[in-house]
Amino acid sequence: MTVEAMAEPPPARADEPPVLVGRGVTKRFGATTVLAAADLVVHRGEAVAVTGPSGSGKSTLLHCLAGILAPDAGEVRLTGERIDGWSEARRTALRRERLGFVFQFGQLLPELPAVENVALPLMLGGVSRREAVGRAAQWFAPLGLTGLEQRRPGQLSGGQEQRVAIARALVTGPDVVFADEPTGALDSETGLRTIELLTGLAARTRAGLVVVTHDAEVAARCHRTVVIRDGRTIAGVRA
Amino acid sequence: MRLLRLGGRRAWSAAGLVGAGVAVATTLLAVALGALHGLDARESRTGWRTPAAASPEETPMALLRARTDQVAGRALEQIDLVDPRPDAAPPPGLPRMPLVGELWVSPALADLLRTLPAGELADRYPTATPAGVLGEAGLTRPDELVAVVGRPAGDPVLTAPGPSDVVPVGSFDRTEADTTVAGIYRQLTYVAVALMVVPIASLLGASARLTAARRVERLATLRLLGASTRQVTVTAVAEVTAVATVAAVVGVAAQWLLAPALAHISIAGGGWFAADLRPSPLVSVAIVAGVAVLATGAAIGGLRQVVVSPLGVARRQQPQHARLIRLLGLVGGLAVFWIAIVASQGGPAAVAGLIFGVGVLALFGSVSLIGPLIVRVLGRSMTGRARSVPALLAGRRLLDDPKGAFRPLAGLTLAVFVAGFLAPLTTVIAGEVGADDGVLVLQAPAAQADRVAAAASARLATLGVAARIGPVTAAGGPGGTAETGVSAETGVSAETGVSAETGTTAASGPASPGNPGNPDGSGARGTEDIVAVPVLPENPADRDRVRTALAPLTPGSLVLTRAEADDEEIVLVEDLRRGTLVVLVATFLIAATATGTAAAARVLDHRRPLRLLRLAGTPLAMLDRARWAETVLPLLVLGGVALALGLLCASPFASAVLVFSPSGLGLLGGVLVAGVALVAATSAASRPLLRSVTAGPGRED
Ligand SMILES: Nc1ncnc2c1ncn2[C@@H]1O[C@H](COP(=O)(O)OP(=O)(O)OP(=O)(O)O)[C@@H](O)[C@H]1O
Ligand SMILES: [Mg+2]
Repeated sequence: MTVEAMAEPPPARADEPPVLVGRGVTKRFGATTVLAAADLVVHRGEAVAVTGPSGSGKSTLLHCLAGILAPDAGEVRLTGERIDGWSEARRTALRRERLGFVFQFGQLLPELPAVENVALPLMLGGVSRREAVGRAAQWFAPLGLTGLEQRRPGQLSGGQEQRVAIARALVTGPDVVFADEPTGALDSETGLRTIELLTGLAARTRAGLVVVTHDAEVAARCHRTVVIRDGRTIAGVRA
Repeated sequence: MRLLRLGGRRAWSAAGLVGAGVAVATTLLAVALGALHGLDARESRTGWRTPAAASPEETPMALLRARTDQVAGRALEQIDLVDPRPDAAPPPGLPRMPLVGELWVSPALADLLRTLPAGELADRYPTATPAGVLGEAGLTRPDELVAVVGRPAGDPVLTAPGPSDVVPVGSFDRTEADTTVAGIYRQLTYVAVALMVVPIASLLGASARLTAARRVERLATLRLLGASTRQVTVTAVAEVTAVATVAAVVGVAAQWLLAPALAHISIAGGGWFAADLRPSPLVSVAIVAGVAVLATGAAIGGLRQVVVSPLGVARRQQPQHARLIRLLGLVGGLAVFWIAIVASQGGPAAVAGLIFGVGVLALFGSVSLIGPLIVRVLGRSMTGRARSVPALLAGRRLLDDPKGAFRPLAGLTLAVFVAGFLAPLTTVIAGEVGADDGVLVLQAPAAQADRVAAAASARLATLGVAARIGPVTAAGGPGGTAETGVSAETGVSAETGVSAETGTTAASGPASPGNPGNPDGSGARGTEDIVAVPVLPENPADRDRVRTALAPLTPGSLVLTRAEADDEEIVLVEDLRRGTLVVLVATFLIAATATGTAAAARVLDHRRPLRLLRLAGTPLAMLDRARWAETVLPLLVLGGVALALGLLCASPFASAVLVFSPSGLGLLGGVLVAGVALVAATSAASRPLLRSVTAGPGRED
């Protein structure tokens, strides 16, 4: 891993408040404490990698920050607003409207053509179908997917599928994009190209980006790396 | 099985779901085959009533005439044995040949003889005391009313007018009976079995698909561990086969246990001996084996659709298209159906059912061709105009796999078509047969009609029974009796064509009257003009008294109302209706199970994208509405198209007025609505499954 490999300078501006703040986030499953007061701060346009050994709680932290799980203690703020105490219904709406997600694999609906998969979050948000599909189609060129709009997920390669998933995560213009092992099912070269597209497009749309990965090279494509150890976050390399 | 054990509770519950579906289907199949067995058993029990005729050179054991009398509102089979040879081999259920003057009765009739006044029943027979009771071997059902009467040579029974023939008995041993009505029932049952086999096969397919869906992840693990696709397939298929076999055994056992309850279902005039409704052991084994084979085939087919990669991704190939060329198949199938129906109308009754069956089979083909096409067109239009996410998801799903969406509904579509076809027809037939007007008909030779009418009123006057005795006119004009009320009443019967007829009184009956080739005794019948003397008891409760009292006036003949004389046909119409409903209910049950299973399989198939969509903020209700639309809309559209086609095909045989008569379609409509609700409910039943597999960030199973 080389710091020089980073193509872009960190676009985060110190004078701007962070878009996502997790402070003292604690999560227990029964007797085991997975997260013990973990902290994470993400600015607009900034990509933060979360790494750590398997089972250390990376996904759990992501779920807490994204409002999928409610933390047992600590606070989570999105653009300054506390969201950790919200009801499930409110958090569901929040995820749909203001957050984006990229998972490891298999997140596209197999019957829908790629472009409709991408348009889905817009339609869920009340955008008309015509406009949603039009806006979704604009994401295909920047992701190198031109011509694949009408393909079904089953007719795409793994890398193409992940890029469609990235388009879907970004199409609503979310405040923060969460990616859990987005390259985990790809070969390393495809994985690196995919993460570069993700970080690049997230920076361009000024979205915060949290990438959970155990791949050091992937982490190196982010502006900053945070390591989880014993349920706490340890600041890693700051680019 | 090892996989089952590995899978823990969830695998068991999935197996339970599959097993329950297969068991239900097997039970229904066993019920249908049991009905065939029951019909066979009935025929072997009653074949002696339509015995083999003696050849002209041999001396018959007796002359037999079998007719249907009525008592207490029930059919009473009356078998007259004229000039029986005492040493001849008796019919089944009798210890010896009845002697002249003897009366043998079924247990139920023996009860009636004890309870009813002699003037209502016993006086019809030469003796009030039965010589003995018929055994079960000679009865169709425990409560059947049968009277066997020994009569002297030359008894008037031989020459009395009526639809049935006198048979010189060569032997009571009758392996194959050829009564037309029995044949129609048998063929209708074949149609019913065929109607059920298709949905059962589709249910098995859905079950296998569910099992495969449950297994994808686990099979992927096996693949990762180095098992070949072949080994993986064999394991999964073996599991489905094992579950299906156990379930089939349970299903057959359930039918066996249900037989006493099923025996109460009235077909062809009454219930059954429970034992007759149980398929033979050999057939039972064949059912289990057949279901196991079907399940295995369906499982292989289901697994082939899922290409399991070691990463556990179930990839589908190209979307399957239903081509427009299928329309040609529909046209062809409908044409064959039509020709078959027209042919069966003109042809002899014995093969009508068979031809009708061929027509239905032709429809199978066209329905399974056209069904996916309709689903695809529906999917296309839904997709095209979808504004909401649920509509888009449902439309895409239908467009993506029209065959898969159609399969669980195939049997139902066909059953709705047949029901739509039969409903107006049974209404028409029922309309032709008419209701019971209560007018008893004495059939007398024209020359004696006046004497008979006079004797009848004298006799009824002695008994103190009030009755109107109608005009004995050759034409149907108003009668000349003093009582005006009579002429009105008999006017009704005259309109229905009763009042003046020749020997071909029951020309509309199912059997042809006055057999000209009859070698013995009935030469007088058909040559002499017979007229009807209508008698209307003022009090309907007097009917049995009146007919018992008046029977001796026209020796040997039965005194029945026109509707009672047509009893067999009325019963057949009722049975057609009942049978249609039973088959419809059964196919709805199967379709509901199949749709429910298919819905569950789809949820499991897509649990990963569905769960991730939910994590990303898609409300559960949205996914649920999509599932609802993709099940209920095709059901409604296919059902509607099938019903319309059925009514259309029936329209040449039934006028539109009759089609929309409330009695014909009310019940059918009720069953359709209830069935759609049931199917919708079972598809909704997978909602908890959807909720649980998409809940939380946890790993899937
Ligand atoms: N729903 C749950 N119930 C109980 N324990 C859980 C649950 N979810 C996670 N855990 C436990 O919490 C710990 C952290 O899990 P998590 O999925 O966050 O790890 P991770 O760092 O993402 O690991 P990996 O790199 O393997 O994905 C693990 O020990 C796991 O067993
Ligand atoms: Mg993880």
